[in-house]
Amino acid sequence: MSKTFKVRVNGQHELTVDPSDGSLLEAMERAGIETRYHCRDGFCGACRTQVKSGDIDYINEPLAIVRPGDCLACCCVPASDLEIDH
Amino acid sequence: MSYSTFNKNQINPLNEPMFFGNSVNVARYDQQKHSIFEKLIEKQISFFWRPEEVDVSRDRVDFQGLTDSEKHIFISNLKYQTLLDSVQGRSPNIALLPIVSIPELETWIETWSFFETIHSRSYTHILRNLFTDPSDVFEDIVINKEIQKRAEDISRYYDDLIFFTQLWQTHGEGDIEVHGEVHHVSMRELKKKLFLCINSVNALEAIRFYVSFACTFAFAERDLMEGNSKIIRLIARDENLHLVSTQNILNLWQYGKDDPEMKEIAEELRDEALAIFMKAVEQEKEWAHYLFRHGSMIGLNEEILCQYVEYIANMRMEAIGFDAPFKQRSNPLPWMNKYLVSDNVQVAPQEAEISSYLVGQIDSAVSASDLGDFEL
Repeated sequence: MSKTFKVRVNGQHELTVDPSDGSLLEAMERAGIETRYHCRDGFCGACRTQVKSGDIDYINEPLAIVRPGDCLACCCVPASDLEIDH
Repeated sequence: MSYSTFNKNQINPLNEPMFFGNSVNVARYDQQKHSIFEKLIEKQISFFWRPEEVDVSRDRVDFQGLTDSEKHIFISNLKYQTLLDSVQGRSPNIALLPIVSIPELETWIETWSFFETIHSRSYTHILRNLFTDPSDVFEDIVINKEIQKRAEDISRYYDDLIFFTQLWQTHGEGDIEVHGEVHHVSMRELKKKLFLCINSVNALEAIRFYVSFACTFAFAERDLMEGNSKIIRLIARDENLHLVSTQNILNLWQYGKDDPEMKEIAEELRDEALAIFMKAVEQEKEWAHYLFRHGSMIGLNEEILCQYVEYIANMRMEAIGFDAPFKQRSNPLPWMNKYLVSDNVQVAPQEAEISSYLVGQIDSAVSASDLGDFEL
């Protein structure tokens, strides 16, 4: 079993995420959190999410602009425990 | 400062700003100052499609069955989109190519505009199928007051930049009199016009299409006008890419990663840029009002459409460094998303909801982690 990380979303949801299980966006969807997305392919930027603490890894390189402190949930996975605002 | 189609000076494009540096000479893509534009070109080309690949013949029957208010909504949206893509199919080329200074951005602009012409061609494809003679629809685009209002705002920043670039290229900097009017042309002034123009285009790509997209997909939710919806899906996917490019240009300037003077201008004209975006939001809400003036359609009304405009505007504005100005944080039209997912465009052709079969498409379902076990 690969390593899992704790992800806290919007200060109210506590998720345990296995990075080999798909993107951060999919993890939030599985937990029943309302998500924002369009392309799910890293180029539209609709799933832009604020990373308050922790690190992420991109599984696919995003084309959409990622401003400092943000990530694109559709194409990244946690690389440490995370606190995010989506 | 006259334009040369092949700048004979030895220049290093890696040291050039995006705009108003030396004009591009060799079209080379082995090295890039801003690699994002090369990636956008690749992605856009992988999305290539032709309107004729989408069968719209069933739409004619569906259209006859629509109520008058629904026909008004459908046709008005097509007119508006035709206007938007008429502008976008030529303006980036005319306004931006004469002043661009790096090859990857130059080619991106050409690729972008070319795809807008595909969109324009698809509106003709849709309308020719609905009407034996679609001339009335096309002719109304330059007469219809509601569309005129938008055309004015969409084209003025382009026109202003184009005119000043022409003055600068023929006369250089200084006070230039044309038909009794004196224009003060300076590099600072040109760059300001460029900044406002890109902000206006960004607002166009970010929200101006979305009221029509929502109506189109609302018809598709009722299994109506599905050929049209398939085409609009492809267009929506392209427009998202175009938006990425303007967002990148604006962010590169803001973060001082390109021309330092553009960073100053971005700060100086921040309020004006915000006003351009907010005006586009207002105009889209007015457009929703115009669409529904004869009645709503099932699944959609003016109020919910305006909420959707605010929801989209919040996302788009945060992407270029503004605070989200609207309270609407949840998606009032959740079914929209399934039409905007890039991958949904590539499913089996025999299914009615599917946009198109695969044409030169990249399979984005493969992620880097799928290759994680490979070792060299």
